[in-house]
Amino acid sequence: MDLINEKFLELRDRKEGAHIAHIYYGDPNEEFSIKLVEILVKNGVDMIEFGIPFSDPIADGPIFQASCERALNAGITPIKCINGIKKLKDLKIPIIVTTYFNIPYVIGFEKFLEMIKETGAEGILIPDLPLEEAEPYLKMIREKDLHLILQVAPTTSNERLKRILMNASGFIYLISLEGVTGSKLRINPSILKLIKDIKAQSTIPIIVGFGISKKEHAEIIIANGADGIAIGSAYARIYSKDLKNPYRKLFEIAKLAREIKIGCINGYRKRL
Amino acid sequence: MENGKFGKYGGMFVSEVLIHALLELDEAFKKIYPTDEFQKEFHELLKDYGGRPTPLYYAKNFSKLVGFKVYLKREDLLCGGSHKLNNALGQALLAKKMGKKRLITETAAGQHGLATVMAGNICGLKTEIFMGIKDIERQALNVKKMELLGAKIKPIKTGAGVLKDAVSETLREWAACSRTTHYLMGSTVGPHPFPTIVATFQSVIGNEIKKQIFEKEGRLPNAIVCCGSGGSNALGAFKPFINEHGVRLYFVEGGGENLNAENSAAAFQIGSPCVLHGSIMQAIQDKWGQIKPSKTRAAGLNYPGRGPEISYLCEIGRVKACYAFDHEVFNAVKFICKTEGLIPALETAHAVAFVLNHPEEFHSDDIVIINFSGRGDKDIETILRFFYGFN
Repeated sequence: MDLINEKFLELRDRKEGAHIAHIYYGDPNEEFSIKLVEILVKNGVDMIEFGIPFSDPIADGPIFQASCERALNAGITPIKCINGIKKLKDLKIPIIVTTYFNIPYVIGFEKFLEMIKETGAEGILIPDLPLEEAEPYLKMIREKDLHLILQVAPTTSNERLKRILMNASGFIYLISLEGVTGSKLRINPSILKLIKDIKAQSTIPIIVGFGISKKEHAEIIIANGADGIAIGSAYARIYSKDLKNPYRKLFEIAKLAREIKIGCINGYRKRL
Repeated sequence: MENGKFGKYGGMFVSEVLIHALLELDEAFKKIYPTDEFQKEFHELLKDYGGRPTPLYYAKNFSKLVGFKVYLKREDLLCGGSHKLNNALGQALLAKKMGKKRLITETAAGQHGLATVMAGNICGLKTEIFMGIKDIERQALNVKKMELLGAKIKPIKTGAGVLKDAVSETLREWAACSRTTHYLMGSTVGPHPFPTIVATFQSVIGNEIKKQIFEKEGRLPNAIVCCGSGGSNALGAFKPFINEHGVRLYFVEGGGENLNAENSAAAFQIGSPCVLHGSIMQAIQDKWGQIKPSKTRAAGLNYPGRGPEISYLCEIGRVKACYAFDHEVFNAVKFICKTEGLIPALETAHAVAFVLNHPEEFHSDDIVIINFSGRGDKDIETILRFFYGFN
């Protein structure tokens, strides 16, 4: 069985919601990113969304844009990122590689998948590859035994939702708001309804992301039926305040990670 | 064209958040554009407000000096000073009929921003313009005009503070407000259906050229020369001639200082297929797929990508991809000022420069049409600085 499924089963046994952390690798340097992931995993992160920086990240807000820009200025490349994933093997947690479509497009999509598979990562998430554009690649991704994590949004029609769920794999990523990563989140009834709609049609785990920054977000979302949350900008925001020595911020990051995890646990237990 | 694809180019590479808006727009365009009501309103505005048809001017002095007949399609005479209004009026009208309340867009030279606020005011829609800080600085006159007309200008500081960054930021803003706001895409770029919509609205240029050249010469031209980056004035002029295989089509990019990747905007020379701003197109990027900033003195050509349709037409050889260097462009400005008494936009001067510097492409019995896409008021300071070193 693959690590993502295994992780969701394990979390169900422990009665916890999943805590997924998104990082952009190489911001501000590779060593820090490795350390950051280790700290996150030690403090309640269950899976890592491993971001390969891109020059024009159109689904990302200012925090992650700056993150990509710093990493690229420091000389990060997709190959260095892929080697970076290999360094995380000992942590034994599921890794989902996140990047914009031009990166695999230029490398060659099949070659990119093979490289990802070789690192031991479980899947890919490409925010600018909606279902229609992903269709030609679905078979290839399945054959390589990787998950393509598809997204749904508050603006997704019922008819599209059905088609996306039919092709979803690993988990479904529910974009919580109309906007970009790191925006201010107000949990509204339409999100909670979307969680219910998905649950009525599919058993696939639901992860809610975009704008998650505090324990209460995780708690409400998971109490309402989601299986976990994804959080990223909130962590990058902390260390980007001390870029001269981001290590000094790891303590604060660890603290937030533990709080978010408590939200994930409380939320799950409220469901029961 | 199938599903917004032109060969391998095009598509809808955007976040799921925006898909509904693109599908809604596609449907609205297909439904509303062909109606008599829309056509009547659109063409009345083009005529009575915009000043269409724009003249096709026989440039006698220019012709005498190069040794073949040169006509200028006078888009500089369109209200606002460039071809941009054709598309802005069309999309603003469409947005209004779709029930949108607000327009957002980006601009580099400021011509498209200006056209958008003009069209927005006519249609009763609020307008917000995203503009790179570097472009705000070098296109100060157009910024003042836009502000006077009531547009809100949002300065973009990310990246290099130029058009590429402003487009990214407008796409992000649109993700947050697409239910009430229309992104009035200014060129034949971006995700489907934008490239098709913009080319359709701009094709009024080519349709007029065809009629006018038959009236004046009784035959098709031998060549049409247009400047471009995204490709809207070029596709607008080319569209009705794509199946007229006797008509040679030239697309002139910003060569910048030289064809070194750090100094140029000539994506057909130094770029490769790329997924940028929602579609697959030819663009300037490094070997890992990171988009590189383009460079040219003409802000309106300073975009690293070529729209999907022009990328396709160049790939199959129907359109010839060419370029002009900055110094050739400034000399072309001087030439056209002297011979015809017209001050062209720096963008437009690229097409003139190509014709002047490539006699091998033309014959003495040729009829050549240059799409004179915009006037140069906005560039006066840059031009004076180049020639005389002061403002």
